[in-house]
Amino acid sequence: MLELLGTALVNVAQMKYLVPLFFGTLAGVVGGALPGVTITMTIIVVLPFTFGLDPLQGLAAMTGVYVGGSAGGLVTAVLLGIPGTPSAIATTFDGHPMAKKGEPGRAMWLGLWASFFGGLVGGAFLILSTGPLAKFALEFGPWEFFALFVFALSMVAGLVESSLAKGLLSGGLGLIVTVLGNDPVMGQKRLTLGIPMLEGGIDFLPVLIGVFAFAQIMSEVERMGGAARLGDAVDRSLSLAVSHLKVIWEILSRPFLLLWSAFIGVVIGVLPAIGGSAANMIAYDQAKKMSKRPQHFGSGVPEGIIASESSNNANVGGSLVTIMAFGIPGDAVTAVMLGALTIHGIQSGPLFIVQNPQLAYGIFAAYLLAHPLMVLIIGLAARYMLRVVTVPKAALFPVVLVLCVIGAYALNNTMQNVYILLAFGLLGYAMVKGGFPLAPFILGVVLGDQIEINLIRAIMTDSDPWLFLTRPISGSLIALSVASLAFSIWQHYRHRARVAGAADADF
Amino acid sequence: MSRDGIAGLAVLAASLVLFALTLDLKVNPMVPVGPGFYPRIVLGLTALLSLGLVVSDVLSRKKTPKVREKQDLNYPLVALSFAVFALYAVALPWLGFRIATFLFVGGANALLDPPRGAKGWGRALVLALLTSLVTWLVFERWLSVLLPRGRWTGF
Repeated sequence: MLELLGTALVNVAQMKYLVPLFFGTLAGVVGGALPGVTITMTIIVVLPFTFGLDPLQGLAAMTGVYVGGSAGGLVTAVLLGIPGTPSAIATTFDGHPMAKKGEPGRAMWLGLWASFFGGLVGGAFLILSTGPLAKFALEFGPWEFFALFVFALSMVAGLVESSLAKGLLSGGLGLIVTVLGNDPVMGQKRLTLGIPMLEGGIDFLPVLIGVFAFAQIMSEVERMGGAARLGDAVDRSLSLAVSHLKVIWEILSRPFLLLWSAFIGVVIGVLPAIGGSAANMIAYDQAKKMSKRPQHFGSGVPEGIIASESSNNANVGGSLVTIMAFGIPGDAVTAVMLGALTIHGIQSGPLFIVQNPQLAYGIFAAYLLAHPLMVLIIGLAARYMLRVVTVPKAALFPVVLVLCVIGAYALNNTMQNVYILLAFGLLGYAMVKGGFPLAPFILGVVLGDQIEINLIRAIMTDSDPWLFLTRPISGSLIALSVASLAFSIWQHYRHRARVAGAADADF
Repeated sequence: MSRDGIAGLAVLAASLVLFALTLDLKVNPMVPVGPGFYPRIVLGLTALLSLGLVVSDVLSRKKTPKVREKQDLNYPLVALSFAVFALYAVALPWLGFRIATFLFVGGANALLDPPRGAKGWGRALVLALLTSLVTWLVFERWLSVLLPRGRWTGF
């Protein structure tokens, strides 16, 4: 393993891979720093640029986006008090007060080095656990895969606090998309609705791009009354100079906080669709509970910044484990990475690491190398990035949509995918307005075919339906799915009671 | 009925129509369950869930009438933005990538932030021209990604 990793590190350190990794990390940092532009949108924008690259170059660029984006949010969180991404929300709680107290450099570098160390902890988990987990998953038959995908979907759908029915329905809508067009087992046409372009089925990438890009852009457009700019009030002459040894010592002298926050990030990353936004909040909350001076949290304490930033970067490592070992995208970013693999004819899942060791270890190496690049980029360009966030959204959004069109069109050089992009853009926006979560929908679209294929394979192998429950792993996963839904129902009622309580208190 | 109820009814109707269509699918002798088996499970589940959403919407409205919060959102701008993008998607195969993209970026930018004076129009034109040319150069020339050719313009 170490030999493979060493070779991959040397390989990715070559200009051929280092250049896309650098530009991916840069794009991630800038996208992460721009409020209103998420990591998902950044990776969607970067996707078409990877079409002309070899698989590892493309995946290195995407890994860079993921790592850079997870840390980029801290720049605006600290200096403007506006989190660039949801995964930096908790960073604003102490980062911005510390910056306002005259220590912007300390706040920025505490966040940056915490991201670096948290990311490395996530990397260690990624490298050490992907192989054994994939090996475990190799023992899975169609029953286990069916149960695993159902578990992933039930978990994601159940995470919606406001309405469990909407979460489940959103996942169901995603599954409906996959039943249109053709049957993935025998290739027989079905439910084409007389539309010729549906005959080959619907690619998931234009669906994903359309749903996420339009949902986000149009949600910003509806609040536009002119060219909103950020950061106009920022003093660009502020100094971010700091003693790095002192800042690093501040982090490493709190090893339990760093490791515990990174652990929270990793675990949440492994679980599908929870993501960095939850990781940083939970880690912050834990840090506050463990602290001897919780009353100081929110006034600019280093623990708050360390907890938030180390957890959101460790989260990336956890997310990559799920996709590399099981082929399940933990979030929209890894779903795009899964799409990029498919474009190059590479099958993700438990066989991925065995069949493509160079690519798998190349991703590990890209992940590790993206961290020093991230530190370098943010360290050198943090102040200049505040100029980038002043780009008017009226100029940014049309350019992003053009890149979305290129990404959809270039998948198979047909306009069909552009029309699908538009159709699902409308659906995505309608779903957001109706309060339907997008994550279960996308997971349904991504996993739908695999759920059907494994269900049919299981029935073709043995028609006894009880095998889904009596085989130990499959049965456990089905039980976990039921438990996950039961937990969601309990959580849903608790949320409703809390909302009702809050409403009573208002009156 | 609120948005939830309407959305639930729409999904219920779509699920039932598609479910009815699966009944016409022919069974393949190679596969014991046929191509309609799995869609029926999925559509049955979505029909049940959407029915549940409609029922819970009706019941919750009976219990607590919801007070709508007034939000100042610019929906006409959203509708126009979708329309401009739809025009772009329609124009792409006829005008080709470069011209359609130039018109789209210029138009969308002007729509989202109406230019003031010659300087404002100049900025919108430069943005449109740069986006069209730079994306074409990067994707077609550098990354060898083919972009749509125009039937009317030939490029």
